[in-house]
Amino acid sequence: MFQNYLKIAWRNIRKNKTTSAINILGLTIGLTSCFLIALYIQHELSYDNFEQNRNRIARVIMEYSFDGSPESQKGNFTSVRVASVFKRNFPEVLSAVKMVEYERVIKYEDKLINEKKFMYADSSFFSVFSFKLLSGDPHTVLSAPHQIVITASAAKKYFGENNPVGKALKVGTDSNYYQITGVVEDCPASSQIRFDFLASFSSLGIPKEYEDTYWDANYTTYLLLTGKDALAPLQDKIASFMKKEMAGQGATIHFYLEPFSRIHLYSPYNSFEPNTNISYIYILAGVALLILLIACFTYINLGTARSMERAKEVGIRKVIGAGKQQLFWQFIGESVLICILSLILSISITCLLLPYFNALTGKLITAQSMLSWQIILFAVLIITSVALLAGSYPALILIGFRPVSVLKGSFKNTGHGQWLRKSLIVFQFSISVFLIIATLLIQKQLYFIRHKSLGYDRNHVLVMPLDKEMRKNISLIKQEFKSYPGIISVSGCGRSPVEGGGGYNMRSSVMPSNQQMSVTANPVDEEYVKTTGLQLIAGNDFTEQDIKDASIEDPKKVGYHFILNESAAAALGWTARDAVGKKMFLDDSRPGVVSGVVKDFNFQSLHNPIKPFVLFTEPGGYEMLIKLNGSQLQSSITFLEGKWKNLVTNRPFEYRFMDEDYNQLYSSELRLGTVMNLFATLAIILACIGMFGMSSYSVQQRVKEIGIRKVLGAGLLNIILNLSKDFIRLSLIAIIIALPVSWWAMHAWLQNYAYKTGMDYGMYLIACLGTLILVAATVSIHAISAAIANPVKSLRSE
Amino acid sequence: MIKITNLEKIYRTEEVETIALNKLSMEVKEGEFVAVMGPSGCGKSTLLNILGLLDDPDKGSFIFNGIEVAHFNERKRADMRKHNIGFVFQSFNLIDELTVFENVELPLIYTGIKTAERKEKVEKVLDKMQIMHRRNHYPQQLSGGQQQRVAVARAVVNNPKLILADEPTGNLDSSNGSEVMELLTDLNEQGTTIIMVTHSEHDARFSHRIIRMLDGQTVTENILI
Repeated sequence: MFQNYLKIAWRNIRKNKTTSAINILGLTIGLTSCFLIALYIQHELSYDNFEQNRNRIARVIMEYSFDGSPESQKGNFTSVRVASVFKRNFPEVLSAVKMVEYERVIKYEDKLINEKKFMYADSSFFSVFSFKLLSGDPHTVLSAPHQIVITASAAKKYFGENNPVGKALKVGTDSNYYQITGVVEDCPASSQIRFDFLASFSSLGIPKEYEDTYWDANYTTYLLLTGKDALAPLQDKIASFMKKEMAGQGATIHFYLEPFSRIHLYSPYNSFEPNTNISYIYILAGVALLILLIACFTYINLGTARSMERAKEVGIRKVIGAGKQQLFWQFIGESVLICILSLILSISITCLLLPYFNALTGKLITAQSMLSWQIILFAVLIITSVALLAGSYPALILIGFRPVSVLKGSFKNTGHGQWLRKSLIVFQFSISVFLIIATLLIQKQLYFIRHKSLGYDRNHVLVMPLDKEMRKNISLIKQEFKSYPGIISVSGCGRSPVEGGGGYNMRSSVMPSNQQMSVTANPVDEEYVKTTGLQLIAGNDFTEQDIKDASIEDPKKVGYHFILNESAAAALGWTARDAVGKKMFLDDSRPGVVSGVVKDFNFQSLHNPIKPFVLFTEPGGYEMLIKLNGSQLQSSITFLEGKWKNLVTNRPFEYRFMDEDYNQLYSSELRLGTVMNLFATLAIILACIGMFGMSSYSVQQRVKEIGIRKVLGAGLLNIILNLSKDFIRLSLIAIIIALPVSWWAMHAWLQNYAYKTGMDYGMYLIACLGTLILVAATVSIHAISAAIANPVKSLRSE
Repeated sequence: MIKITNLEKIYRTEEVETIALNKLSMEVKEGEFVAVMGPSGCGKSTLLNILGLLDDPDKGSFIFNGIEVAHFNERKRADMRKHNIGFVFQSFNLIDELTVFENVELPLIYTGIKTAERKEKVEKVLDKMQIMHRRNHYPQQLSGGQQQRVAVARAVVNNPKLILADEPTGNLDSSNGSEVMELLTDLNEQGTTIIMVTHSEHDARFSHRIIRMLDGQTVTENILI
């Protein structure tokens, strides 16, 4: 019996080539989209699954505010004190590990490489986390200063097949060599902690007195708890503990515990690896479902539309003894066969597309992921659901036929079936219009983000590292670099405007010392404003003398100069003009005078509103910004490289552009935008394929009518319009449904941004007109061929 | 074998009510070959559909092989049909996607016969119908006469007690039509009961008895042998 079902299913597929191709193509596109999205989601959901202690590790989040200030700062930063104090005071904390990531230049023999994945961690690292050491003792590999563990890939890169343990590496400007004490397996692609080099935290040489303060919070602290349930009671204990710790200090510090397993998808705070917003997972899952529904609806539509053709077969089968159940399973069997063919194709296409998809999403998903039990289960479930969903309605329609009517030829397709088909077409196009609008709006917001005037100029600015060795010669380096006409200015600073600054507090000289305000601040030199294009609206830029004033060795004579943004001036109660010349303190340890005020600029991502910001004088810095003339980019870079080799011998020549850094702030949005573009296009193609199939069927059904109309004098345009109007009408209904839904959904999405684009009518008009043109074009393919056919032929064939 | 008493069938649409069978009574004995004749719309096809358990009467009794089947549900009707009744249609009603062999095999599949036995039975009946050489052809590759022979083969492959033929020669030329009638006669001679609806006096003469119908009732009966 089953063999017979398969046989007839296969022959039907071959006989109805166009319909079968549409069904298989549609389902293949739908399934491929689902697989790609499922792999992406699985990858995201599998973050840190390898971590055996993931349910009892917590990350410490710090929030601080100063008495009298409504502003508070919250983020993934803690001082070195937190780990030791928490471990000592709370029995729930079994172990704690401090970590920090810096870029470091590694030198080994003739190799000189700037390593971006370089971390420092306490010796407890391997007792807290499950990274697998291939050689070395987990208890001692990081127990002393200048010890380092490297990954298997890093070992291969530097030492080939030789055993690296015991060998020494030169790290950055540190005068001590780091001894390799262990080799660790490469960090999994789905780990929020990924490093190539892991040095002992003690190598940082942080002075002992930093153990006494909760300030100087520049590190990440993870706690290993006694159990998952220990987190909530510990959180309460920490709250009361910190109340005591901060009593009378003029500031409040709260520490919150974030479950490790929730960080990647749910945390609003940065991690070592970029987080993903869980809402994007839901959006993508929704898109996958919508695409699959479109593909299924095409199948159902063509299936029910073709039911007339299959009715005779069903009638015969019924007459010679087939039961309803047998017929039902026969049609489900056909659906399963089509689904299996589509599945095989979609698995192959998914594997072929994975490298491109990875490039698009910035992920490292391997074809082996297709073999994971989750994906296999997903494939089985999805095929079963699609086969049942897509196959059962046509099957039920068919087995409901009365054989007598069918065989007598008096059978007519029901109005109910037509109503359903029309509803499904409307639904398909509603989804398409929704996806077009969503994609257009996401692209518009991304364009807005990329091109918004931020208050500084991020174009043609190179960002380069600046280390201790370079700082010794900074004046010479700047002078040499600027000798080339293509180089406009060179600035040494803490961070570029894209990266913002560090957390500080400030007060004016008339405010009492216990009344502080949280502020973001950045140490810079005299060329920072010029290099970044910040707009000075009052006062003056820093001078070389201002920088010298800040670098006097005698702390009593040190005088700082500040440039505030408008928000910082307003927070201190000044207008821009008033602020110039006023005395103020940054962190109390930096007394000084306001030199100028710059226009507010976005130093954080556009998700956040602009807050107070202070630039303060300090020589050196950690980064060098180089403003280039846009017309001499390449020659300037070549010149810089030549100079670099002469002036900076301790690190390779590496640079990045500031606008690239800026785009990095929106990596998840950019990824979403790219992925949405891809899948919205696929959804529209699928809907058009469905429409193509339905219009083909519709035209076939009306061949005789078209012939009669032509004989009676109907023109080409008249016939095309006549055939297209039903589909155009359905598309209009789809548009009416999709418009309010998409307006509501996208309005909600834009609320994530403090700065956002408008939802203008033009975008909706483009989506609606685009859909109508697509529908008209798709339907016209059949309509035109029917309209130009010889009516004699169609009438005779009838 | 068949006894129907006061059988009524009325077709209703929103505005029109058509009486297809009007208190019709008749009896067919096992081994008989009965022809049913009458003008279009007299109810003969309706009668054949009810006899073939493809349709159910509104009123009256229908006893088949001693069992009252008039109000059997769909499942029981299908079961009764597949074990006892074979159909031959004017338009052959073969499944285009199946070969000759597979078309004939289909009733055996639905009655759950094993593959080896199916093969044997199908080959035997194809041989008998002299269509064995076309076993792997599709219906559209055959002439009308050949297609009807396949349809007859399919109708008899399950050894039904009753064959219902609805104008079996209506789509055939006279030579092929005669061949089909001879096949039916042979089957009847081997013991199969046959009820045939026809417009053709020539074909009707192959039967033992002709029932003439008008307005849903029998008007005359001619016994030919």
